[in-house]
Amino acid sequence: MAVLRPSGDFDTSYEHDLAVVRQRWQWALLLLLLLALFTLPYYAPAPTVSLINRIGIAIIAVQGLNILTGYTGQISLGQAAFMTVGGYISALLVGAAGWSFFLALPVAGLGAGLVGLIFGLPSLRVKGFYLVMATLSAQFIIPWLTRHIYPSLLNGAQGINVPVPTFSLPVIANTCFLGTTFNAELGTCVYRFATPSQFIHITLGVLIVSTIVALNISRSRLGRALISVRDNDLAAELLGVNLFAYKLKAFFIAAVYAGVAGALLAHNLRHINSQTVGLVDSIMFMGMLVVGGLGSNLGPILGATLVVLLEELATVLAPPAAALLPTLAGGATAALKPLLFGLALMLFLIFEPRGLAHRWMLIKAAWRLRPYAR
Amino acid sequence: MNWQLLPQFAITGLLNGGPIALMALGIVLVFKSSEVFNFAHGQMLLIGAMAAWWFASPEGMGLPLWAAIIAALAVSVLLGLAIERLTLRPMTGQPLLSIILMTLALGQFLQGLTIFVFGTTQRNFPVIFSVTNPYRITLPLTYNDNPIVVVLRQNLVWSFVIAMICVIVLVLFFQYTRTGLAMRATAENHETAQSVGIRINHVFGISWAIAGVIAAISGILIATASGLDLSLSIVVLAAFPAVLLGGLESIPGAVLGGLIVGLAQGLVGLPNNSFFMGPAAAQAIRNSAEIVPYILLLIVLVIRPDGLFGQKRIERV
Amino acid sequence: MRKWTLIMLVALMGLVLLAACGSPATPTEPTAAPPTAAPPTTAAPTAAPTTPPEAPAEPTAVPVQEPDKRTQNLEGEKITFYHFGDLSGPYAAITGPLVFGMEDAVKAINERGGIRGATIEVRFADTGGSIDEAVAAYDRFVGSDPNAMIMITYGSGEVEALASRFAEDKIVNLSAGLSAIGFYGPESGYTFGLGPIYPDQFGLFLDYITANWATIKPASAGDEIKLAYLSWPGAFGQGALTPKTRAYAESLGVQIVAEETYDLSPTADTTTAILNAQAAGANVIWTNTLAFGPAALMNGLGALGLKQEFVLGGCNWAMDLATYAFVSDPSLAVGLISPFPYLWWNNADHPGIQYAASLFEANGRPAGARNVGYLMLVTGVDIAVQAIEKAIDTVGFDNLNGEAIYNALTTMGPIEALNGVVRVDYANGVRAPQQAQIRQIQGGPDAFNVLQDWTQMPDLRP
Repeated sequence: MAVLRPSGDFDTSYEHDLAVVRQRWQWALLLLLLLALFTLPYYAPAPTVSLINRIGIAIIAVQGLNILTGYTGQISLGQAAFMTVGGYISALLVGAAGWSFFLALPVAGLGAGLVGLIFGLPSLRVKGFYLVMATLSAQFIIPWLTRHIYPSLLNGAQGINVPVPTFSLPVIANTCFLGTTFNAELGTCVYRFATPSQFIHITLGVLIVSTIVALNISRSRLGRALISVRDNDLAAELLGVNLFAYKLKAFFIAAVYAGVAGALLAHNLRHINSQTVGLVDSIMFMGMLVVGGLGSNLGPILGATLVVLLEELATVLAPPAAALLPTLAGGATAALKPLLFGLALMLFLIFEPRGLAHRWMLIKAAWRLRPYAR
Repeated sequence: MNWQLLPQFAITGLLNGGPIALMALGIVLVFKSSEVFNFAHGQMLLIGAMAAWWFASPEGMGLPLWAAIIAALAVSVLLGLAIERLTLRPMTGQPLLSIILMTLALGQFLQGLTIFVFGTTQRNFPVIFSVTNPYRITLPLTYNDNPIVVVLRQNLVWSFVIAMICVIVLVLFFQYTRTGLAMRATAENHETAQSVGIRINHVFGISWAIAGVIAAISGILIATASGLDLSLSIVVLAAFPAVLLGGLESIPGAVLGGLIVGLAQGLVGLPNNSFFMGPAAAQAIRNSAEIVPYILLLIVLVIRPDGLFGQKRIERV
Repeated sequence: MRKWTLIMLVALMGLVLLAACGSPATPTEPTAAPPTAAPPTTAAPTAAPTTPPEAPAEPTAVPVQEPDKRTQNLEGEKITFYHFGDLSGPYAAITGPLVFGMEDAVKAINERGGIRGATIEVRFADTGGSIDEAVAAYDRFVGSDPNAMIMITYGSGEVEALASRFAEDKIVNLSAGLSAIGFYGPESGYTFGLGPIYPDQFGLFLDYITANWATIKPASAGDEIKLAYLSWPGAFGQGALTPKTRAYAESLGVQIVAEETYDLSPTADTTTAILNAQAAGANVIWTNTLAFGPAALMNGLGALGLKQEFVLGGCNWAMDLATYAFVSDPSLAVGLISPFPYLWWNNADHPGIQYAASLFEANGRPAGARNVGYLMLVTGVDIAVQAIEKAIDTVGFDNLNGEAIYNALTTMGPIEALNGVVRVDYANGVRAPQQAQIRQIQGGPDAFNVLQDWTQMPDLRP
């Protein structure tokens, strides 16, 4: 896609050339959007906040997958497994070891990243279907391990309850500031991110960081090297890109993102077990990526939003569908979710394989060129 | 280790490998002709078995079992043809990722469709083989002076036999019929096949139809042993590694891969409380049947990246 | 780069600011919590759940005493029962009838005029057997109704996962999932069982077999009872195996010689588990499974020709109609011994059973749903209604909330739901029934016959 800019938008400095948000009104719009999102709990009903929260967590997982699959071209069906790893690590660090959630979150990401490295190892020797299968094996082996190792710590198939993230402030002048309440046991002021409308601030904060990181990976040397691996790995190797190192880096980054998303999910649900996220979720993340647009930074955001909204639509449509078809009874949600998701993904693959992000580019270009071209 | 159970578990495992091999064969067949790895095979299995149940049950058509099975096979043929024509024909020439995702999406879609049509209730599938009179084979071996008796459920034995018959029929079909020859030629090279007058779209259609039939047969074999339920679609997860163990393009490889997977799944039942790593580890290993195929797969991928019988891929820039 | 630092800073500021203004859940001023050296009473929200304030000393005060407390003629008011369960996943076979029972019982009560005139509204969500779906459903319900007061749940997994939240949000949970952790685990307290917890059931079974071993033992078995625990993985399947029950088994001289699990799926193969149990010398099998779970064992025992080698026991759910849908031959089910904490449809002259049967007829439910789940939920709704009526009498309709129902449940004394189909007493920190019969399958599903009448079960709470 050629860079189409409206006339008059020139680069006046190197910094301006590098800028992502180029104009004042874009800044204003972005800040307004962020403000609208952060103040969501004040004007939106609780279910909506919870929905946005779920979308945010999905976006983070898909952003990682985008780096691995969209930029590097390595297909992975293991993203959900790495989320499980991140979720368990964070749950154990906060629950059993008593860490602060905000410290445990990055550690969970790194831990998941290391596990991701292990399952990225076969990527040197195999590609295509064989690599898909190698990542798929992560999807079976990791949940199995959580069910069978250290049962006293991981509680087997039932999984573990995850504490609510909190931050505490010292008592200043006999008052608790920042919306915290006094906790007698700890003797400090504590804020608990218990409900989705409290938790969403964490999700959005992490989402901003993850988006900025993803954006800068894609336009740095690392991103360009990853793209060269995707487009032609043999040629990339001849140009001096260390294939193995870059593939592993991509696996690592993707798993870090998954780990962070998994930790968020675990603390949001306040529970994690081996089936909290599974194979179907891995498939859904791939689907979100394709629906949104591979190899584009907007893709994960659009794709995850659309697919999670479709899921929600299935929940909404379920009661009338059940009324229409009595044999369906309670299975309506279970029927509609995969049905709508599969149908949407198939339609996108056939009619818009480059995803919503590409469509958005076309719309923007058409808007700029109007009335001269379509 | 429960050594006295070794023959029992080995034989049971091998027999269980029969249906796995049949499922792997269905996947390899489609891959050979059209280079599509069919992740929706499990759902085809499910629909085949559901159709057979519907035709046979008094709640549905109430046909006699043999007629119901034939009708279910016909449905599966139509399903295979429809899948090929509607979803995979438009994907010709698309990158690998798109094709993988297409079959994954198709799987989800079919899963939803099955629930939509049949609901989520578990059903009793008509019993084809007696469930109460197992075969007992006394082996010419002893353990602590007791003869070792292997008990085999009838459906296990007969499922294996039927699966193997299907394999042999398919191999003969490829070897000795004109269509089989055309399919082999297409598998070799699409353009060359087209240039000698083979209509490769027909060949794709036929291979999907055969895959449908194979899926339905495996579905029915499994359902008759253990009841019919949505979880039938995930039984195929044991067959994916079997396909790659043997090598994606190899029919004997798929069969052997299936049997190896079955055998491995049987043998993990052996460790008991005297296991050298302790009773807890032994129990974990006994419950590892679902991941053993994938561990085998990882090992094979590291040692022989193209599977045991796969073709070596050579890439040029 | 500077701009990015700027974005980050702005974002962080936004985060801090929003955290500062706090959540909508805490409308109080920041100064409302003035901590001093001595801990103030405002610490209640997190500390309360395990020790909720007791209700007034006299449990059954005069129903109508204050004029401004509405306790009667609540026409036009609504009380919402929330429930969620698995109608599309592995537990669907058992959850379906539970949901039917719940809905039919509520419908009948509404037709009779509701609770003091207030109609009961029912909201359901399908979880597909996954815990995160259950949590999502819980969030949806609580988010849409700040005064959600009662929920009915059907699975051990979701009960264990949500137990602390029920207590935290003060929502009474009547549960058909009977895992001990859900009722007595840390931070739980608002979860009440419709049946005895699995450790108690296992204990009662152990009592019975040790007392009657001479008469029920398999012909090939010796005097030593060697038990194999063959079950599903997960909260429900492993629910009866706790340190307490292990110690109890040891004290009775019962050895647990094998612990095997098999897949939570109708296609599970139990051959390996059974043969390993046999190799370990077991002569009794306990299974904490339902529907296709016990059926898979019965089929496996039948197929291997080992039915006569074992005494088969299972939790209350195992002895049910749902099991019959999966046994390949009904004769394979004969002989199963279970603790049985309720009456059965074959007690046809009992008024409670007659009531449940009449509901079943009136709503034209499928024959397969006439099982334990249906019965249990008809009685469960009866318990809920009794408790709510008492709570209304105590605090008035306008103050009715989860805490009031909790206080009512814990102070009601012994409840004979539906004239004694179930016998419960939620007093003194006991949150699940502790009385049960022992029954055995001696024919079809209409021949679950009593081996031992109502007895107090061993108390194996953690």
